[in-house]
Amino acid sequence: MTEYPEVEILLAEDNPRDAEMTQRALRKTNFVNKVHWVKDGEEALDFLLRQGAYADRPASTPRLVLLDIKMPKVDGIEVLRRIKSNDHLKSIPVVVMTSSNEEKDVIDSYKLGVNSYIVKPVEFSAFAETVARAGLYWILTNRAPTS
Amino acid sequence: MKRFAIHKVRNKLLAGVLLTSLAALVITGISLLVYDLRSYNALRVSDWMTQAEIIGRANVAALQFEDRQFAEKNLELLKFRPDMEMAALYSAKGALFASYVRDGISRDRLPALPETDGIRIVDNTLNLYKRIVDNGEILGAIYLRVHYGFYERLWSYLAIVLAVSAFALAVSLLLSSWLQRTLTRPIMDVSAIAKRVVDSRDFSLRATKTTEDEIGSLVDTFNNMLAEIERQTRALEESNQALASQIANRAEAELALRESERRNRTLINASSSIVWTTDKSQRFDEAQPAWQAYTGQGEDESRGTGWRRAFEAEDREKLSSQWNAAQQEKIAFECELKLWHAASNAYRFVSLRAAPVLDEHDEIVEWIGTISDLNERRLAEAEIKRLNADLEERVLKRTEELEATNRELESFSYSVSHDLRAPLRAIDGYSRMVEEDYGDRFDEDGRRMLKVVREEAVRMGRLIDDLLSFSKMSRKTMDTVQNIDMTALAKDVAASLLREQDAARVRFDIWPLPAVHGDIALLRQVWINLLSNALKYSGTKPKSEVLVTGEEVNGDAVFRVQDNGVGFDMKYAAKLFGVFQRLHKAEEFEGTGVGLAIVHRVIVRHGGSIRADARPGEGATFHFTLPKRSIHD
Repeated sequence: MTEYPEVEILLAEDNPRDAEMTQRALRKTNFVNKVHWVKDGEEALDFLLRQGAYADRPASTPRLVLLDIKMPKVDGIEVLRRIKSNDHLKSIPVVVMTSSNEEKDVIDSYKLGVNSYIVKPVEFSAFAETVARAGLYWILTNRAPTS
Repeated sequence: MKRFAIHKVRNKLLAGVLLTSLAALVITGISLLVYDLRSYNALRVSDWMTQAEIIGRANVAALQFEDRQFAEKNLELLKFRPDMEMAALYSAKGALFASYVRDGISRDRLPALPETDGIRIVDNTLNLYKRIVDNGEILGAIYLRVHYGFYERLWSYLAIVLAVSAFALAVSLLLSSWLQRTLTRPIMDVSAIAKRVVDSRDFSLRATKTTEDEIGSLVDTFNNMLAEIERQTRALEESNQALASQIANRAEAELALRESERRNRTLINASSSIVWTTDKSQRFDEAQPAWQAYTGQGEDESRGTGWRRAFEAEDREKLSSQWNAAQQEKIAFECELKLWHAASNAYRFVSLRAAPVLDEHDEIVEWIGTISDLNERRLAEAEIKRLNADLEERVLKRTEELEATNRELESFSYSVSHDLRAPLRAIDGYSRMVEEDYGDRFDEDGRRMLKVVREEAVRMGRLIDDLLSFSKMSRKTMDTVQNIDMTALAKDVAASLLREQDAARVRFDIWPLPAVHGDIALLRQVWINLLSNALKYSGTKPKSEVLVTGEEVNGDAVFRVQDNGVGFDMKYAAKLFGVFQRLHKAEEFEGTGVGLAIVHRVIVRHGGSIRADARPGEGATFHFTLPKRSIHD
């Protein structure tokens, strides 16, 4: 047994408060076993490509990636582009989380094959519900092809 | 004279006719007379010869038998011939044998002896002698003397001829007067017309043609002649008029020319321009006082081509090439140069204009030109140019500053949306977590306070969202300007609002609206904000009634949105369109006070205006105007 056998969802979020609330919301659905949290885009890519700190991670891909757009170092859009241009990764559903409607324009302009996006509301309950619904949808109803 | 001539013609005609008649009558009369008298004479002579024979025969016996008595009785019978004056019988021996003498006539006239046979007419008497012969034997002779009556007959005949002539002349007079009437009347008419034409100079008069003979053709010819004269007279008059008007024009032109000359002289004298002349090869050949006064050149100095030295060195070549080109083309030219000005002891900007004076063969005789001082104007223009450039630079700088500010604003908005919302989300989320995980350890008041924290966080989030959308509206470039059917747009917005409402208690009444030119996304926001505002503030009424009307006024589209809501006090109207300005308490109507600020901003950006009209409790009406053609076209 390695350190990361049950990873189901990769959460890339630089804000620890949002990360905690997201994790809590997902956990409350009782369907999500494991959420791995990375604090920026670089770490997200290291994790997905099993490089850097994650070089010895077992060869498993998350069932869903939740990407915040605004992150230090490598931003969410760049991570998205790398995922969708990688043959092994591009089948993973990616849900982009934005802080405002302004960023929706950015997502639209990239058209990178994002599966869904969430505008993070200020209200926690709405936020939690949105996150949980998106996570559940992609995990439960849209099964990724087994690699 | 003409009338007289006509009269003469008439008289001639008359005289001709009369003379002709008279001559015929006289010749005829004389011929008749001569003939008659001759035949009368022959008749009488023959008559009396026969008578003499008869008497001779009757008296043969008496002579043979010398029966004087018988003879006397026989002769006596002659008294029945009234013209018989006397008769006598002579014996063979020549002695008077018997005689008859009409009473009253003397017997002495009886010839004593018979004369030889024959007839002798003496004193209007016919004296006839004839021998009486019987069987070759001369028995005697007879003598008859008869009143001849020649003159009586002559006179009576003459009288008849005269009477007939007189009658014939009278008839011919009548005839000729009729003739002259038919002949001369048309001529008289023509003559009268001619006289009227001459007197009145009315060439439209025409003689009347009454006959188809030579006179008729004369009338025709006369009329044709009159027509021709009329035509020529008219042509002459027209030509005269044209000539007169030409003369008048010429006089006018001469007057204008004199006036123009006078003004030109005055202008030249009064003008600050320098007027100069050169010969055909651009040389000063006479004194140029104005030139010399301006440039300070002496007459000798400027003579020939010396004047060129008064221009700034680098301008001389330009002037020469332009002038030579104009000399080739024989046209006027104009160029701007710098000329030495003695009084300012400096070169000044001048405009030189020159025109060639051409002779009748289109050859240049001389050049006349002016030089106007442009210095002040050029300096002012340079100053204006400098100011403009300065202004442009400042505008550019300002624009750059504004663009920088905009960029800053954008990044500010971004960090507001991202960085401000994140803590709010945390405040809300963590108070929620506290409530969820530790709520049972709080008392009622503690839970209420926690709820307030979360509510305020949510409200602040909304404020941030509205502020962002307002700044987004303000910054949005109007790059999708198009013609917009405002009726359809307002109805579409109303329909989508109705979906979120209890449709039964809302009534939208949208009349046909004028179309406008603008950004459909921004104008959609205007309708959303105005109509949702109308619904919001009439939400306290049993039924919301919103009336939307519009019309075109002076080429602008004017719209009205009227509701039956709570209205507001007009003394706060000035605050209505400010950001975060609210006229109602948050407890009464929710909102952040950005909606109308957005409406105002969008309408102003379209070149329009908006105002509101309201009274508390009596609804509000928003009037807004958009130009048919946006200022951003």
